[in-house]
Amino acid sequence: MAWEYYFVVLLVYLGTDLLAVWGLNLEFGVAGIANLAFIVVVAAGAYTYAVCTLGPDTADGGFQTYVGGFHFPYPLALAAGALVGAVVGTAIGITGLKRLRPDYQAVAMLIVSLMLVTFVSVDNGFLNGATGLALIPNPFGQPSQSERWSYVAMVAVCCLIGLVVLRRFTTGPIGRTLRAMRDDDIAASAIGKDVIRLRLMVQAVGGAFGGLSGALLAGFIGGWSPSAWAYVETLAFLSCVIVGGRGSDRGVSLGTLVIAVLLLQGVQFLPQFNSDPGLSEALGWIVLGGATIVFVWLRPQGVLPERRPRHGIGDPGSEAQR
Amino acid sequence: MTADSEHVLEVVDLRKHYGGVVAVDGASFTVARGSITGLIGPNGAGKSTALAAIGGLIAPTAGRIVFEGTDITRMPMHRRARLGLVRTFQMARVFGNLTTIENLLVAAPGQRGETAIGILAGRRAWRAQEAANIERARELLATFSMQEKADDLARSLSGGQKRAVEIMRALMMRPKLLLLDEPMAGLSPSLTRQLEDVLLSLTAEGLSLLLVEHELDTVERLCSKVIVMAAGRVLQVGRMADLRRSREVQDAYVIG
Repeated sequence: MAWEYYFVVLLVYLGTDLLAVWGLNLEFGVAGIANLAFIVVVAAGAYTYAVCTLGPDTADGGFQTYVGGFHFPYPLALAAGALVGAVVGTAIGITGLKRLRPDYQAVAMLIVSLMLVTFVSVDNGFLNGATGLALIPNPFGQPSQSERWSYVAMVAVCCLIGLVVLRRFTTGPIGRTLRAMRDDDIAASAIGKDVIRLRLMVQAVGGAFGGLSGALLAGFIGGWSPSAWAYVETLAFLSCVIVGGRGSDRGVSLGTLVIAVLLLQGVQFLPQFNSDPGLSEALGWIVLGGATIVFVWLRPQGVLPERRPRHGIGDPGSEAQR
Repeated sequence: MTADSEHVLEVVDLRKHYGGVVAVDGASFTVARGSITGLIGPNGAGKSTALAAIGGLIAPTAGRIVFEGTDITRMPMHRRARLGLVRTFQMARVFGNLTTIENLLVAAPGQRGETAIGILAGRRAWRAQEAANIERARELLATFSMQEKADDLARSLSGGQKRAVEIMRALMMRPKLLLLDEPMAGLSPSLTRQLEDVLLSLTAEGLSLLLVEHELDTVERLCSKVIVMAAGRVLQVGRMADLRRSREVQDAYVIG
């Protein structure tokens, strides 16, 4: 059934996109780090999963070359994806540590993203260059219908665990401290917050979310190449955050559903009304860009804005925080 | 260690150059424990630069800053704050997207919910401490008659209220020395009086204050000692009533 297949694909995309957008929202929405290199941690997770699950590159007739090839068990490969995402995210975070103005930080990170994708594309021995890696193993073997649903279940479990971890960082005293740093990092230092340590922590946690997202995606698709992590992919995630509601976990989740899944995937279902097969995809990006600009101008707080808990007299400990 | 000395802060030969421009040119002064010390001078005298160097916002070109017997000249701002040296800013800097009471809560020292264990263990690890902090923040808000604003976003407050939030936020940290940069600017006369009373009662509890202020009547009412700066140097030190009669100080204000 083609429709069931599409539905499975959309659910896996929704889950992996949610993990990535949650990670980016922690960095950009909550902590105020405009990480325009976010897609790099997704790629790091995807490549890590690939080289951890694939065997040595001399197998399969050596038609692709890469480092590693460890044949790890699948749970270990997923964990490795998250871990490498955290390490790479921290490394990217270091580029923004020198008191650069936030806009310079964003540009520096964007350049890092462009440099890395170029490097991986031209170095054929590292991760098989521009062609990318293929035959990345799926934990459930050759996918038949029922095994695709097993994959959806695995993604769902990862999302549930991710959500529990995420809420530990976005709510409570640490969530409040990160938002204070976002609003004014100098004032945050003046009340004793170690801004550098907090930034690196956020980059590590956000990187782990991105890495897990990439690992799950690579395992599902079975291939991963530089075209999958062009810098515009970061902008798509950023758009989910801005339209949904910067800093709001509910908001960015809704943004992911609408922008990343319904819009960017939905356009594939449009009938082809022109000889150019890339037209419907281009239309998706145009709508995405337009929506982002409209929100930045007219509703910068997004569809579901960040809400703060109430602690005033008469609101004893109510927990309305989202 | 000279932590038991009479001075909470010692500034020795402080200098700050920006290229060829000299903002502070060898200033030395002290702040006595439990006192309110005023720092006055005409525009461009170097008061705010000196305050920024003491607070850790800028690195001095030369000189030494000693707080409670510890040399803090090169210490990052957040570590000075944790030692009990806290500043406010000339333009009040509040966390606009947090509520008023959250602006206070975020400054509470030693929060378990910010540590790795507290984050992973969740609410149970920090709930009791948080409740105590909320209680204290409410008391502070009551002192400044701002209970009604507790759950308003800080960016919606008036300029004077933001200034009050900044001072309450600093007090939430239980500082030993508070650096206030023109706290009275833009406050109504009644709010000014209210703040003066609060500051005086705080020093009675042992807090030391270094106050940069243009409003000389306030300085006269509050400060036991006043440092006059001009052209990056300390011109005179004394009581405001005496300084008002000083020819040198008058000239500095007129000539700048």
